[in-house]
Amino acid sequence: MLHDLTMIAARPSAFATPTRRQLLGTTAFVALTAGLLTTTMSRFAVAAATFDDAQKMMLLRVARDIYPHETLLDNAPYQAVVDAILTEADKDEKVAKMMSDGLTDLDKRADAVYKSKYVDVKNPLEREGLLRQIELTDWFQKVRGGLLFGLYNNKALYPKFGYDGSSWEHGGWINDPSFGKVEWL
Amino acid sequence: MAATFDQNDDSVVVIVGSGAGGGTMANELAQKGIKSVVLEAGKTLSLEDIENDEWAMFLKISWLDKRYSGGTWHGHINHPNLPAWIVKGLGGSTVHWAGVSLRYQPHEFKMKTTTGGVPGANVLDWPISYDELKPYYDKAELKMGTTGDVTGMPHLPWSSDFKVLAEGARRIGYSKLISGPMSINSVERDGRPACQQIGFCMQGCKIGAKWSTLYTELPRAVDTGNCEIRTNCMVLQIEHDKSGKVTGVVYADKDGKQQRQKARAVLVAGNSIESPRLLLNSASSKFPDGLANSSGQVGRNYMSHMTGGVYAVMPGKVFQNRGTQVAGIVRDESHHDDKRGFVGGYTLEKLTLGLGFLSAFMVPGPTGWGHKLTSALEKYDQTSGVWICGEDLPQEINNIELHKTEKDQYGLPVPIVNKTDHPNDTNMRNHAYAQMGKIYDSLGAIEVWNLPAYPASHNMGTNRMSEKAKDGVVNKWGQTHDIKNLFVSDGSQFTTSASCNPTLTIVALAIRQAEYVADQMKKGAI
Ligand SMILES: Cc1cc2nc3c(=O)[nH]c(=O)nc-3n(C[C@H](O)[C@H](O)[C@H](O)COP(=O)(O)OP(=O)(O)OC[C@H]3O[C@@H](n4cnc5c(N)ncnc54)[C@H](O)[C@@H]3O)c2cc1C
Ligand code: SF4
Repeated sequence: MLHDLTMIAARPSAFATPTRRQLLGTTAFVALTAGLLTTTMSRFAVAAATFDDAQKMMLLRVARDIYPHETLLDNAPYQAVVDAILTEADKDEKVAKMMSDGLTDLDKRADAVYKSKYVDVKNPLEREGLLRQIELTDWFQKVRGGLLFGLYNNKALYPKFGYDGSSWEHGGWINDPSFGKVEWL
Repeated sequence: MAATFDQNDDSVVVIVGSGAGGGTMANELAQKGIKSVVLEAGKTLSLEDIENDEWAMFLKISWLDKRYSGGTWHGHINHPNLPAWIVKGLGGSTVHWAGVSLRYQPHEFKMKTTTGGVPGANVLDWPISYDELKPYYDKAELKMGTTGDVTGMPHLPWSSDFKVLAEGARRIGYSKLISGPMSINSVERDGRPACQQIGFCMQGCKIGAKWSTLYTELPRAVDTGNCEIRTNCMVLQIEHDKSGKVTGVVYADKDGKQQRQKARAVLVAGNSIESPRLLLNSASSKFPDGLANSSGQVGRNYMSHMTGGVYAVMPGKVFQNRGTQVAGIVRDESHHDDKRGFVGGYTLEKLTLGLGFLSAFMVPGPTGWGHKLTSALEKYDQTSGVWICGEDLPQEINNIELHKTEKDQYGLPVPIVNKTDHPNDTNMRNHAYAQMGKIYDSLGAIEVWNLPAYPASHNMGTNRMSEKAKDGVVNKWGQTHDIKNLFVSDGSQFTTSASCNPTLTIVALAIRQAEYVADQMKKGAI
């Protein structure tokens, strides 16, 4: 049984000292910006001119590795978040540079450790290890923030997690047969 | 009939904020025939605005003006601009609150005497006792509709999630397991319906079963014709005359234009960050350190409770979201016994988090991602959890500081909320983590997760009550030691934080303060 007392604070990685800007990728800020992001994003893959197919694939892989639900979720909700970022990158050079520099750097790190491209690292835990090295960068937090909302604040996906969401429309749970029942105790 | 008062009418009492403290004061004074103007920085809200959606409600009604988290708590990294979770809107944080309504235990008013003092902490006895406050606790419970003996309302039915917690607690030998006292109607009462176990109490109760000043105290105050509420009005400064008496306030209206409302007395109830900030921002040549600050204690002794969370994946379904968010509490550790390695005690409160919040807070901040987290989230309907609410010691270093250069949209210095744990907090939190681990182990938990503190929902102590003027900001009536017609009416009055959620005590103090204000006005003392 694991009682992890160490999950208290962000541990700055050896590779990046967090700047205040990077740390804006946290709760309040993420709530404000990612909320907007997910509402305006397209549901279809966009023809983001700035990125080649390999980069787009890699971004999708990164997205799936940040919040992995290999059997629970298909690509669509991840793709939607990636597309929103690509669309933004098309309009904003700074975002485009940040993202493509980030991907290049990640591939370099994969090469340094595994002599391989990031997407070709087979073991998901090894990919997670690579991402841990860069978790405090702006580009990573941008993807993470978008996903946090795109996956877990996405009403269409609630049922997959066993979450019921809004209940006042059907009078709450007071008269539901499951209320107050525990089958396994 | 809604009253409107002239801005030059200096016979009115000005109340800053419409939450637990301010909303209660408005109604109590109005019922006594005392005229008041409530200035509320946030917008008008109604039940129409309430949704069963965690982030949507957070974004709609939270106080999101610029703030910084300071001190060494994890939030200065993980929640750098969200030190606290407070509402900016009509009804204040009583829109978001969960409804837990615990009375302080008698010894919790006397922590200096009980502990003999604690090194590194600024512990002080309250200048009032439980016995003095008891009749007002009764009145507060009747007002708020608190389940239990005083109202005669039964506690709420046990949800499956509370049954799980209670069974684990029983297995490790605990016995104080109870689904109240909650200020949530378990039966129809006072014009409000019984709880339907909707499960989004902290997003605002869609049917109004939970007490909130939004649809109880405030409309009742307005109905008397003695109270005018102005929303979107942010008080910037309290003004005073040569003698040092306060004369009114300057505020920014909805268009950002500065306005002035004269007043016979000013009651400050903006919650424990904004209330001291307002006193500090009201510094003048006569009071260079801020109003009512001869003690230097304004903004100090900030407390937010020793908190944390513990969530565990159970072997079977729990359906944590199907029922009141705080469906029950465990009080076996709320006594004082320093043999446990800390002074004071803590309460364990079952707390539902929806998928949106659980995913964000299970491992908060930029490191909250990865396969371990996602495999737990996939078992959302098997997850059960508690929030820990423990006594947090007053320390001078925990304070509301004004930023030296940065200003907010009103042109006021941005507040920095400094919070660093005392070793007592750390010991108590680790004790609570260990006890919760035992509880969940006894149920065969698959995984147990310890969560650090959330952005503070309980904020206390920054204008504290003291017997002597040198030790605190207000006297036992919440009247500032320095200025007779200036009062503090919210949780910033708290001398110590206890193992209890603060709102019932805020309301009890407000009812008592309203009697005192009325009496002092009648006597012409203010
Ligand atoms: C999610 C959540 C759950 C909670 N659950 C519980 C619980 O179960 N039990 C419990 O006891 N407590 C609970 N609380 C805490 C409770 O809500 C607060 O203790 C209580 O509301 C504080 O009352 P207050 O009057 O000090 O401030 P508030 O209720 O926060 O009201 C302050 C008001 O003042 C306004 N204001 C601030 N500054 C100014 C200004 N300068 N000018 C004009 N207006 C201003 C604000 O906009 C706000 O509306 C919870 C809080 C949250 C956020
Ligand atoms: S559980 Fe009860 S109090 Fe909470 S939101 Fe639902 S009806 Fe209101």
